[in-house]
This record gives sequence, C-alpha cells and structure tokens, in this order.
Amino acid sequence: MLLGTAAALPLLLGTAGCRSQDLFAGPDPLAGPPRPAPGVTTLRAVIAAERDLIGLYRSAAGGRPAGARELAALLSQHEQHLTRLRARLIVPPGSAPGAGAAGAAGAKRNSPGRAPAAVSIARLRAAEQGSAASLVQRLATVEPSLAQLFASIAACHATHASALSALGNRGG
Amino acid sequence: MTVLRPPGAVAALQAALAAEDAACWGYGVAGAHLAGSLRDAAVRDWTGHNEARDALAGMIAARGAAPVAASAFYRLPFPVHDTGSAMALAAYLEDGVTRAYLGIVAVADRRLRRFGALAMQGAAQRAAFWRGSTEAFPGLTGP
Repeated sequence: MLLGTAAALPLLLGTAGCRSQDLFAGPDPLAGPPRPAPGVTTLRAVIAAERDLIGLYRSAAGGRPAGARELAALLSQHEQHLTRLRARLIVPPGSAPGAGAAGAAGAKRNSPGRAPAAVSIARLRAAEQGSAASLVQRLATVEPSLAQLFASIAACHATHASALSALGNRGG
Repeated sequence: MTVLRPPGAVAALQAALAAEDAACWGYGVAGAHLAGSLRDAAVRDWTGHNEARDALAGMIAARGAAPVAASAFYRLPFPVHDTGSAMALAAYLEDGVTRAYLGIVAVADRRLRRFGALAMQGAAQRAAFWRGSTEAFPGLTGP
C-alpha cells in the first residue's frame, strides 16, 4: 500500500499541478535559491551605504589640498569598515554578487572624462551623521554581535562628523 | 554548537554604571592637571558622566535591582602628572565607557540597544577629542 502510494506521487503532483512545497515542509529545492535572511539584507544595505561614503570621500579628496591628510585618515577608516562588514557576509557559491562583492576599490568613482563632482565638507559631515543615525536604526533587528559592529561603526561615523566640523571651521 | 545567549539587561547596565563611576573619579584626577579650556572640557564631561551615572542607577532600580556601588578608589592605568597624561587618562576613561555601552547594544531589548548605541557615540566623540584622533572601531577590540 505504501509502495503504491509512493509510486503514484509524481503522477498526483503532475495532474494536480502541485508544487513539491505544497506537500513537504522545509525548503523547496525546486524553487530556486531561498530568500536571504533579514540580517543579510540589512548587512548588504549597510555595505552599500559604506561604499557610497567611500565614494563621497574620494570625490571630496580630489583637488583639495587643504585637509587632504585628515580626509585620507577618515577614508582609511571607512575602508576598514567595509572590509569588516564584508567579512560578515557569507555568499554561497553561484549566488548573485550583491552589495558585498565589490571591495573598497568598487566604491563609486567619478565617470572617466567627467569633472569630479564637488563634495563639500558640509556634505560629508551630513552623510556621516545620516549614516550614524541609519546604523542605529538598523541594529535593532540584527543578531547581537552584528548589532555591536553596527554600533561601533556608527560611533566612528559620529566622531568623523565632529572631526569634519572642526575641519570645516578651519576652512579645510 | 554552543549558542551564546545575549547578556542580561541588568548586568549590562551595571557594567555601564561601573564604567561611569570610574569616569567620574578619573575626571577628578585629570581635571587637577588641566587648565583653561581643557579644564572646562573636563568639567563638562565630568558633569555628563555624573548625569549618566544617575540615569543608569535609575534604570537599574526600575528593573528591581540594586545599582552597584562605586569603588572608593581606583587604580590609575598610568601615572598622571601633566596635561598630556591627563588628556590620555580622559581618553582612556572614555574608551572604557564606550566598551561598557557596547555591552548594552548586545541585549535583546531594542530600546536599550538604541540607548547603548547613542551613548557610545557620545563617549567615542569625547575620546576622540581627548586623543586628538578618531578610531575605526570604538569599543571593539580585535577582529
């Protein structure tokens, strides 16, 4: 009886138009890759935001001799953030690259042949403040160690905002 | 596989309170070696740590626990005898406060996580002021 039921199962699935997930609990191997967990989606968004910040810094540093050393130091810390964040993202073989695949070198650059957009110190400061606030929002829903990493990076961004205020006051 | 449980809220708050107590004491030492605007900054930060200490004690008491008592004396991490070492002590104290609030970020309570993260930002900014430079990962040690 059991053997007969098992043998008839493919026929039943075919005639009823059922998907395997209608009958079996757990992940459906025929339905393609599973959706990423919420923490992964959050991490990818944070990585993308960090890359955007790096791109802003690179634009700001171009043609700005005053304060170049300070900006380079802050940029270096953002690159460390990106490295640490990417290390937390485990991408299965064959998956779409997503935000975590490109390294610091993949951060936004100005298009060749176009004059670099002027990025002011005030804009950098606003971006740092916005990023710190966004990270604090995001850390509520992720697992504890990732929340701590987000909080630490947010704290760093807050210190960057203060440093940029001082730099702006000096006319950098 | 061992599953690590997030720390309890009260334990994390007690650790932050202990760090704030140490900061209050340490700023008293640092302030004695500072003058002018640096002394003003130390007084401002000392006042902030006192207020944070009171707030944390209230949060702990509201959870039915007794706030940990401050020590009568703390061991200085290095000799403090001039402006430079006083500023280094202030940065050291803020680093300790930052680490303590990082513990609060790991608790399950979302509101406490936010509280800890924002407090970390203040401490990291003060540490950067006293150190004269920023750090990539305030409160975190190791990779």
